[in-house]
Order: sequence, then structure tokens, then C-alpha cells
Amino acid sequence: MLGQTIVNGLLLGGLYAIAAIGFSMVWGVMGVINMAHGAFIMVGAYVSYFAFATLGIDPFLSLPLSMGVLFVLGYCVQRLLLNRLMRTSLLLSLVLTFGLDLVLVNIFLLIFSADLRSVNTFYTSRSFAIGPVLIPYVRLAVFVLALALAAGFYLFLNRTKAGQAILATSLDKETVRLMGVNPLRVYALTAGVGAALAGAAGTFASMLFPISPSMGITFIGSVFVITVLGGIGSIEGAVLAGLVYGLIQAFAASLLGVNFQEIVAFVIFLVILVLRPQGLLGKRFYGEVA
Amino acid sequence: MTTHDQAIAPAARGRFDAAQRLAVPALVLALAVMVAAPFMIGGYWMRILTSVYMYAVVAQGLNVIVGFAGYHAFGNSVFFGMGAYVAGVAVTLGVPVPIAFVLAPIVSMLAAAVIGWPLLRLKGHYFAIATVALNMAMADLIINVGGVTGGAQGLPLPLGSLSPEQLNRLIYYLMLSAMVASVLLVMWLARAPLGYALRALRDSEVGAEVMGINTTLAKTLAWAISAGMTGAVGGIWGYWINFIEPGSAFDIGVSVNGYIMMLIGGMGSAIGPVIGAFFFEILSTAIWGQFVKIHLLILGLVIILVVMLMPEGLLFYVQRLFGAREQRR
Repeated sequence: MLGQTIVNGLLLGGLYAIAAIGFSMVWGVMGVINMAHGAFIMVGAYVSYFAFATLGIDPFLSLPLSMGVLFVLGYCVQRLLLNRLMRTSLLLSLVLTFGLDLVLVNIFLLIFSADLRSVNTFYTSRSFAIGPVLIPYVRLAVFVLALALAAGFYLFLNRTKAGQAILATSLDKETVRLMGVNPLRVYALTAGVGAALAGAAGTFASMLFPISPSMGITFIGSVFVITVLGGIGSIEGAVLAGLVYGLIQAFAASLLGVNFQEIVAFVIFLVILVLRPQGLLGKRFYGEVA
Repeated sequence: MTTHDQAIAPAARGRFDAAQRLAVPALVLALAVMVAAPFMIGGYWMRILTSVYMYAVVAQGLNVIVGFAGYHAFGNSVFFGMGAYVAGVAVTLGVPVPIAFVLAPIVSMLAAAVIGWPLLRLKGHYFAIATVALNMAMADLIINVGGVTGGAQGLPLPLGSLSPEQLNRLIYYLMLSAMVASVLLVMWLARAPLGYALRALRDSEVGAEVMGINTTLAKTLAWAISAGMTGAVGGIWGYWINFIEPGSAFDIGVSVNGYIMMLIGGMGSAIGPVIGAFFFEILSTAIWGQFVKIHLLILGLVIILVVMLMPEGLLFYVQRLFGAREQRR
């Protein structure tokens, strides 16, 4: 029972981590709180659902597709809308992305209706057992892929020129200009990559949860908590916090009941905000733009 | 101020003074129309106006904490729900309705003072997000506490002895009075020492502290005032719709709408949020009427457009039209 709870929590934690990394990055680099991140995840889930239901493409194979679609969406939103706001109060981005969330959710309501949908492959409900602990294949695969993506993103930031430009912009957007970096283009790139990761989370979610246009709302709360817990803009922090959050949720559900999952999460969130606002692994300079 | 501004200042000042002299009679006239309105319009428009007044107060509450103090309480709807539940539970337990209406803002104010003390230490985004989390946590708390709050099933309020028309008229005047009171309160705040303290700490918290302002006290007071306003209309709203449930009482949309209204009208001014409330609520009602199925989609587009095109608020552009604008600091 204890082992099962730990495994459940950790496996789900991988999904939570990948759902939060893009959000955390966008917040850390640009100071933009993307209220539409949940809607981005939802769009990613529908891309995979659509590919599976109409074209018969396995959800694991549609991963690049959903990431690509979301990259374009995130890039365009930043380029066309948010970049124009970067010079005014950044809190306006909160309102703007809320409007964007409304638009996206309602477009999908119009196209797909509010019906719950699911991606059922032949391997969806298969699992193997290690001792008394059952491990579903899909969840294990999602967990491994999510961690691999997170590692890949970490390498992208630290080993490529584009990644270095993103990190440098988050440090000091005045000085990067002197180094020949255009912050607005870096912002668009960051938003695109962040959205692509949300798309990946959506594809993973489509294999584990029912899909509906409002599914993003359940994610956005968790994503907030993980981002703050891990430290804004910190990838390794988001991964660690995602796993911790998954464990907390699993234990809260098995000890107190499913209803208390959210309350426990929010209480932890508020306590961390007040006691350690930089998060578990947050560095001081991240997310300090107010 | 650029030299260009200084050059046009005298003429502009004359026009601004004229506009200001006109403002008072215009406001009195508008108020007279609003007081007389229930005798001239049907139930449909009365309901719309009632919710305009309600949102005006919500926006005004946000104005105090966001516009004056610079703390973006995105989840201020927590006090709307709190007010609704305090008044609702009180009425269910047999407390007279007028006392329940007074309890709603008082409890909300106390809650804001207690929660604000740790929460207002957070800056910028962190505070904004913490208030959103607070709102979600309160809704979950009500669902899990259950008992006298009705939990997830919601709380039906006992029906009073008033006929529906009488009730709607009563609520109309209550919301109107709440709006007038909130405007007067903010007008007072704009000239009171507390108002100056808040604007000082909005621009520089350290600076304000150096000037001898007790910033913790000032911003906690500001949030308490903000919560009181929001809680008061929350209480009236609960009695109006007669049925409260966590989802609609703690709907983050309430404060998001208020926030947008404040932005449209222009924050930091006493009348801006009211103008924003009229503009946005009537616009969204019109959208609702025209496009029932996609009204939220269009509303989302309107929100995006408003933020993109006039981040400074309507009042700012109106005043610029008159050649001068209010000192914003």
C-alpha cells in the first residue's frame, strides 16, 4: 500500500514536472504569468486526441506534432500580443493571458463540445507487477519520457547558443542588448519552447486522463504550486517539485481522501510563499521582476 | 512633464477646470437618474444595472489595493465569496437580514487584516498568485467543511416575506448605495493621510518607510478596506440570488471582471472603476444577447483588445482629450 502510493505519486509527478517547466521558464525569463498555460496543455491533449481518433496515430508518436503546434502558438502569441506589453506593467500579461485562456477554451468547446474524450490504445490499461506494486506501462513510459524531455530542455538551455541567450536575458535584459541579443526575439523563443513543453504535457495527459476543453483548469493550480515550490525559472527545481507534489497528492489522497488533495496543495503553497518565496532551488535573480 | 506639456498647460488647465465644474452636476444628474430608474425600466435592465453597481464596488475594492497600494490582489473574489457565505450562513441561522449584511463586510475586513499580515509581505507576482491560491483554498475549504455552509451542495437561503419585485428593488437600491458609498470612500481616501501613504509605498516601499510611514499597517488597512467593500456586495449578492455554492461564490471571474473594469476605467481614480463597470458589464451583456453560444470567446477577445489598446484606462484618454490629466502620483 505504501509502496503503491509512492509509485503512483512519483509516476504522476513526472507529468506534473513537464507541465510546470514551461510555465516556470516563461515566468522566470519574462516575468509573464501565463494564465493560458492550462489551455495550452488542453490544446496539446486535443492534438494527440485528434491524431489518434482520425488518423490512428499513436499518442507517443504524435508528441512532436503537438509540441510543434504549441511552439507556433506560443511563439505567435508572444510575438503578436505579449511583446507589445513587455514595456508596460507586466501584471497586464496576467489579464491578457486570462482573456486568451477564455478564447482558447471556448474555441475548443465550439469544435469538440464539452464531452469527455479519451485516447484508448491496446496498451492503455496494461501493467506489470513488482512484488505487491502495480506499475502501468503507460504511466512508466510517460514518466521516463517526461524526465528525458526535462533533461533535454536543461541541455538546450545550458549547451546551446539560443539557450544561453534565454538565460542571459532572464539575468539582465539591458546588457544582453549590448551582446547582440534581441530580447523580444528571445521572449518569443522562450514562449514558444514553454508552450511546446505544455503541448508535451497535454499529449501525456491525453493518455492518462479524460480530455475536455476545461481540463486545463485542473492543471493550472498544480502548475502554480510546483513553480513556486521549485523556484521560479528553475528547471531542476520544477522537476524536483513536480515529484514532491505528486507524492504529496498521492499521500493526501490515500490518507485524508481525494477531496483534500487540493486543500493540502494550496496550504503547502501558501506556507512556501510566505516562508521561502524563492522556492526549493530558486536562485535570487529569477522572477524578481515585479 | 515635457516642455511641450508645460507650454500648453494654461489653456489646458482652463479646459480641465471647465470639465471639472461640469463634473459635479453631471454626477448628481446621473445619480438622480439611477435613483429614479426602477420606476422607469423593466426587470431585465434593472437586473443589469444592479450587477453593474455590484461590479463597480468590486472594481473599487480592487482600486484601493491595486490602484492605491500597488498590490495586485488578483484573487480578491475570495472576499466576495466570504461575504456571501457570512451573510448566507447568518441568515440561515436566524440572524436578522440587516445585521447579516453588516456582518459580511466586517468579517471580510477582519479576515483580510489577519491573512494580510503574512501575505502582504509578498511582492508583485507572488502576492497576486497567493491571493488566487487563497481564493481556491477557501472554495475547497467550504466544500470540505460542509455542515452549516451546505458544502458542495450549496446553501439555499430562506425566502423572506418580500415579493420578487420588492426584493429586486431592495437589492437595486442596496447595490446603488454600496456603489455610492464606495466612491465616497475612495474620494476620501484620495485626500486622507492613508491615501498618500499608500501611493508613496506603491512607488517605493523602502522610500515610504524612510519617510516614517508604517507600511505594514497602511497596506493591511488598504486590503481590509478593499475586502470590506467586496464582502459587503458579496453578502447582498448571496441574498439576491438566494442560493450560494462554492463555485459561483468564489468564482475568480468576479475579481477578473473587476480587474478589467478597473483597467478600462483607469486605476487610482475614484470614478474610473465605476465608468469601467458600466462600460464592461453593458458591453458583455450586449455580447451575451447577440452571441449566446460564443459570448465567452468574444469576451476573451474584448479583454485582449482592451489590454492591448488602452492599458492606461478610458479615463486617462478622456482626460488627455481635455488636455490635462489628473496627477497620477
